[in-house]
Amino acid sequence: MQLILDKLKLRYSRRNTEIVKWKDDTGGKVIGCLPMYFPEEFVHAAGLLPVTLFGDDGPIAHANRHLMTNACGAVRGTFEDLLLGKYDDLDGVAAVLICDQVRFFFQVWSLDHEFDFFHQMWRPFNIDQSSRPFLLNELKRLKSALEEFTGNAITPDKLCESIRLFNETRSLMRALNDIRKTRPGLLKASDLVKAIAAGMIMPKEEYNSILKELITQTRDSDYESGEKPKVMVCGHPCGMPEEEILDLIEEMGAVIVGDDFFTGSRYFSVDVPCSGDPVEAYADFLLNLIPCTTYHYPQNWIGQDRSISTYGDYVADHVRENGIQGVILLREMYCDPFDLEFVMLKKKLEERNIVHITLNTGHEAGSLETQRTRIQGYLEMLNC
Amino acid sequence: MIVAGVDIGSQTSKAVVLKGDNIYRSALFPTGTDLYAVARKVVENAAQELGHTFDDIQRIVATGYGRVSVPFAADTMSEITCNAVGAYHFYPDARVIVDIGGQDSKAIKLNDEGKVVNFAMNDKCAAGTGRFLEVAAETLGVSVAELAALSRRSGNRIRISSTCTVFAQTEIVSLIARRTPQEDIAAGLHESIVSRVYGLVNSIGPGDTGRVVMTGGVARNDAIVSLLANAMKREITVPEDPQIVTAFGAALVARSRVGSE
Ligand code: SF4
Repeated sequence: MQLILDKLKLRYSRRNTEIVKWKDDTGGKVIGCLPMYFPEEFVHAAGLLPVTLFGDDGPIAHANRHLMTNACGAVRGTFEDLLLGKYDDLDGVAAVLICDQVRFFFQVWSLDHEFDFFHQMWRPFNIDQSSRPFLLNELKRLKSALEEFTGNAITPDKLCESIRLFNETRSLMRALNDIRKTRPGLLKASDLVKAIAAGMIMPKEEYNSILKELITQTRDSDYESGEKPKVMVCGHPCGMPEEEILDLIEEMGAVIVGDDFFTGSRYFSVDVPCSGDPVEAYADFLLNLIPCTTYHYPQNWIGQDRSISTYGDYVADHVRENGIQGVILLREMYCDPFDLEFVMLKKKLEERNIVHITLNTGHEAGSLETQRTRIQGYLEMLNC
Repeated sequence: MIVAGVDIGSQTSKAVVLKGDNIYRSALFPTGTDLYAVARKVVENAAQELGHTFDDIQRIVATGYGRVSVPFAADTMSEITCNAVGAYHFYPDARVIVDIGGQDSKAIKLNDEGKVVNFAMNDKCAAGTGRFLEVAAETLGVSVAELAALSRRSGNRIRISSTCTVFAQTEIVSLIARRTPQEDIAAGLHESIVSRVYGLVNSIGPGDTGRVVMTGGVARNDAIVSLLANAMKREITVPEDPQIVTAFGAALVARSRVGSE
């Protein structure tokens, strides 16, 4: 089991060189997709390899010159990689404009670097049926752009085939995630996020067979259950959560049994419906994802059942339904969608008596030793 | 039963050796770089004060930022919990604790049973901590105690705009160059640290009932205590020896765990 996890982690850490290798082996083209929610299936159906772009979490030496001071880690990290030439082997880049930071800086990308394919997909911020026609239109625009770039028609059959393949990936990821719920502590959270992220940069065909083997081996592993407090970790909308923080939480005696990371539940919780027109189905999929701080839910603002935070409700329900004792909020510094939701989220957790703690994360977020004290103090609070 | 708590802070290391329910002695040394050695020394000293040796101690709990470097401790516990246990022992009506140490400050909220229900720590730098005052005092060429005395004599407190310790130092130098009276600079510095700590206290939802206890080395600075009391519009209690409250809490935890394995 650990051997496969280590292999996937290695693939993740070598993600940029893997692209070159894949291109040499297959002669194919690669499109880099910025987190989050990019319709990778469309890229795949056009005969291209979609890879998610994760920025480096090391020091930022070049990007700061071009970006506003309050740019988030995901934005800084990917821009730094672009300036360092790490994306030179990509044939194109694409992004769903999920927040103002991505909207702004992705446009700067096009000024700094010429790609053969460059696509910005708009998406509605309000999640309700009135947004559907706009979303559908954007998906059609993406489809046409990819068809024009490749010369390949994205037929409904091809798109359905890709959707089925990606649904299989999501379902395998869910199966792996279920193991950590039923056998808490068997899989390290930091291993799991990297194993999921590896699936976003590898060809799904290859990844799915590796994941099947991993699931078999994980199910067969010896396991000793313990009485550790179960926590959910959420926040950190894009990019890779810090391995050190996840490890600290588990070293200090808790087990992470739930998350809402992009490299976690956010990516694999919902499948694309396989019936009817696949473009329409994809629009429905994007409107029915798990609640996210980058979306607004206007239906909840009016009427009697309104909620101050749909996202907060989702987190609180998840905690209650899964017998989780507490929530650790990773507050990615300078992520404005999360920050704007943060106060309402905290209020919601307080209302529902859910013990929580906030850890600031991201570039230059503070010393690990202070985080250790916070985490230990929090877990002692849970155990009391 | 003899137990001990050792609190390895960034600046000072403290130990409390506790015999029975209420007999205890404490010791305190600068932390330095050899955390193991200072932990051993501070516990040995406190034990000697009590007329015992290190080997007489049945269980030791380590806390503070250096807690992981105390191999002879049976357990480690965060300074948040230890501080709460210690303060609640001395004041069972304590509901809010403000602890300002060398390089961090904390606000802790307790329920009626003395359990921690919320806490906050300073973010990532020495702003709002004892280190801030030390650096400021050094820059003004006075001791920390003199700084507090100076601040009380100020008739015109000036505003220190930098919360960063290093930038504040630069600001002090330029204020000195502009011949700003030392008293007014000192008062501004105290105000600056209190505004940070007050923000921290507010973030835990301190409520408006129950005793507020202040611990840590900075609690000896009565200028800070009275400024914070004014800001919170509440009385603040300072224990007789505010620096050892966390180590005392660790000793109480050690006592509760003797024979638990
Ligand atoms: S982390 Fe937040 S601000 Fe940054 S790209 Fe993601 S949603 Fe936007």
